[in-house]
Amino acid sequence: MFSLTQRAQYIGNYAMTIGLVLIALIISSSHLDFFQKDILRHTKASIGQIKPIVGFRTSRFYGASNGKPKENTRIAFDLNTDLSGLFNWNTKQVFVYLTAEYNNTEKGTLNEVTFWDGIIKDAEHAVIDLKNTRSKYSVWDYVGDLSGKDLQFKLHWNIQPHIGPLMYGVAEGNDMIVTIPEPEKK
Amino acid sequence: MNIRAELAKFLNLCFVFSSAYMFWQTYSIVADTHSPIVVVLSGSMEPAFQRGDILFLWNRNKYSNVGDIVVYEVEDKQIPIVHRVLREHHSVKDNGKQLLLTKGDNNAGNDIPLYAGKKTYLNKNKDIVGTVKGYLPQLGYVTIWVAENKYAKFALLGFLAITSLLGDE
Repeated sequence: MFSLTQRAQYIGNYAMTIGLVLIALIISSSHLDFFQKDILRHTKASIGQIKPIVGFRTSRFYGASNGKPKENTRIAFDLNTDLSGLFNWNTKQVFVYLTAEYNNTEKGTLNEVTFWDGIIKDAEHAVIDLKNTRSKYSVWDYVGDLSGKDLQFKLHWNIQPHIGPLMYGVAEGNDMIVTIPEPEKK
Repeated sequence: MNIRAELAKFLNLCFVFSSAYMFWQTYSIVADTHSPIVVVLSGSMEPAFQRGDILFLWNRNKYSNVGDIVVYEVEDKQIPIVHRVLREHHSVKDNGKQLLLTKGDNNAGNDIPLYAGKKTYLNKNKDIVGTVKGYLPQLGYVTIWVAENKYAKFALLGFLAITSLLGDE
């Protein structure tokens, strides 16, 4: 009565329907969990003790062109945050990153740059307590210098799910504003 | 052999392919990108994305944010690259252009060595194919298998031929 292809087709369709229902359940239940925990408001961070270190680099890979030295800024900073609320059954990893926003009024640009980032794979490692840590990246402005600019530091997070949409947010806390000093002239 | 039945079967096949094509094109228009679904080809974003993962893109945003995972194409190279935005600089003027610097989570340094020529930034409007919004693990591995294994294509064609031969209702 049933041919081989009909059976295969039936099993295939059935498996696909069950798969889609399961995916929908996983995504909606994990969003409900995040909504109940109110992660957008209850994820907090304190950033402090930001010490800028300003210098010069001559490589093209650090913003210099034609061998002219380019001003580069690193920072040392303290960071304390608990991101364990961002983990549930559908969290594959959390990407956490420390950025600074600034306004270049002479050139008329708005900018945001990353100084430090990290990957957290499970809730057991979600409490971050850094003291006097050096930034991962050496940062330069693409047209001018960072010195004299007011940098507003923020800690962002990004939840990478096992399946479904990616989620982003900013940790609540003290928004540190730091003015980058002039570099020591060589 | 019933020619009418064979033709009906052929028509059915055409219907399947054309609806898949229509879905793709509609999604392209809605998301404003020429390839709205991409399969991850490299491990440079591990552990977030592995080879074979499927990504759903969206390209109607005016500016990218730092931390967004974007897909970009380097001039003259057809391979799309999926990396995270490390820095963004945009003009305060309306519709001012935006420059982006990207980096793979699993790479030690930023992407400047990957960019075309002497470029040190990407242009949001010209280079970005889309921003990753949704994620489906592993299911795209079939396409990598077919593209990289020379016997896979024959296996797939053979399978299709056998099923169509066996498929007499």
